[in-house]
Amino acid sequence: MLPLRLLACLIALLSLPAAAADLVVVVNARSGVEHLSHDEVVNIFLGRYRQLPGGQLALPIDQPSALPERALFYRLLVNKDLPQINAYWARLVFSGKTQPPLQAANPDEVLARLRNERGAVAYIERDQVDARMRVVYELPLLP
Amino acid sequence: MGNSCRLFGCFLALLLGGMSAHADEMGDDPPSLVLRGFGTLGAVRSDTDDAQFVRDLTQRDGGGSKWTGRTDSVLGLQANWRLADNAEVVMQGVSRYRPQGNFSPELTWAFVHYDPAPEWSLRLGRLGTDFYMLADSRWVGYSYLTVRPVQDYYGTLPFNYIDGGDLVATKPFAGGLLRGKVFAGVAREQSPWGNQQFDLDGSLMTGAYLDYQTGPWQFRLGHAQVRFGHELPVEDFYQTLEALSPGSSQQLRVKDKLTRFESAGLAYDDGPLQAQLMVSRTSSDHAAFQGTWAGYAQLGYRLETVTPFVGYSRAFSHSKQLKQPVSPLTDLFLDEFRCDQYTWFVGARWDFRSNMALKVQYDRIFGTADSRFLFRNETAAWSGDMGVLSVALDFVF
Repeated sequence: MLPLRLLACLIALLSLPAAAADLVVVVNARSGVEHLSHDEVVNIFLGRYRQLPGGQLALPIDQPSALPERALFYRLLVNKDLPQINAYWARLVFSGKTQPPLQAANPDEVLARLRNERGAVAYIERDQVDARMRVVYELPLLP
Repeated sequence: MGNSCRLFGCFLALLLGGMSAHADEMGDDPPSLVLRGFGTLGAVRSDTDDAQFVRDLTQRDGGGSKWTGRTDSVLGLQANWRLADNAEVVMQGVSRYRPQGNFSPELTWAFVHYDPAPEWSLRLGRLGTDFYMLADSRWVGYSYLTVRPVQDYYGTLPFNYIDGGDLVATKPFAGGLLRGKVFAGVAREQSPWGNQQFDLDGSLMTGAYLDYQTGPWQFRLGHAQVRFGHELPVEDFYQTLEALSPGSSQQLRVKDKLTRFESAGLAYDDGPLQAQLMVSRTSSDHAAFQGTWAGYAQLGYRLETVTPFVGYSRAFSHSKQLKQPVSPLTDLFLDEFRCDQYTWFVGARWDFRSNMALKVQYDRIFGTADSRFLFRNETAAWSGDMGVLSVALDFVF
């Protein structure tokens, strides 16, 4: 039994992109934000309360939905699948309450917005972080 | 329609004003106009023709022992016109089975949304009514687990939108988020009464709620009230009462009188687990609509792409003691508003592909024979019991 379970684990690990487990939440380095709590990240990305600790409006950015990063991010943040996240947004969007995070067309757009917009908040892989961004929250590694 | 046209005019003016004010910021901003839609293809049938099952009191007739697509099918289109990071115009049109018995599209939202600060949100125009928790997304099937909002609880609400405004304040508090909302406006809709309509146009609706969200928990206390703008379409009946006993119709008239809706909601949403518990109480200054208690509990658990759910709901009413009863006429009239029933429901939602879900649900309703308020076209044989089978395909785009 044990080898079988090991094999299953291995397959599960292999089916994930190699570096995907190392996602970090980053902001623009000029935002003045040093750290975000788990609840603050949830509030910003689920549209409940989009204020950065410094008082500025937070502008969350989603990775393109075709990429595995987006599904992984919501899985690690709130343990939800994309269909559940989509259903959540259907309620808020069609009741006219809040808009979902801006959906970037490609990963480069995420980086460009992070560098250029002071309120930008996004999740990227750790090795993409550069001097114009600051890591403010580390997502838990996959169990 | 005249009102809608005027509304459109107002928004166009606001829109153009807003556009020019923010034109310089539109550089490489995200698209300023986003079109989206939602819909449901639903079919429902029950096991009896002694009463017809309706989704809510805006429907004049409903499902019997033959399948019908009218009860739950809907198509909605929405445009969000972004004026700035904190301002937008939202328009929504919906085609569903209307009180008049057709699917003519109607303008359900048309408002300006402005957030002067992250803590404050202001909306003005035609907007959804937050009567109860989740009540402003009742037609967006994709957003919830069940085929339709629990009928014992939401079925008595014939209100979908108001022309008015609302203001929301949100504040971090004790590790969670505290949110308060006030709203006010006038209703524009109708509720069928036999072959006629109970005209809600001009009824003043006001309300407020206090909401606290922390981790997976959300609590809400709400109060809303309606001051009716018109009488029920039963003037002949009132006249008959007056002829038999002068003054006896007064307590049964609703115009300029209040009906109040108090509610408490509790939602738990953690990973695959979703649970809701809601209770409401309705009371009136008049004696026509009976005081009603309603509530439900619902539990769902996601297993990969399938989420089975189960729930229980209950609704019961009690009529007021009339000062001037006219037997048996007033008793017969009050019986029209009577409900005393409970429902067990079970079903599953299958998210079989992106932005689409297939649902199946079975409701078993147990009621007294005089539980009629939430049904249509009851016959003398109506026992109060009914089984209802529903299937639905929900989508968003």
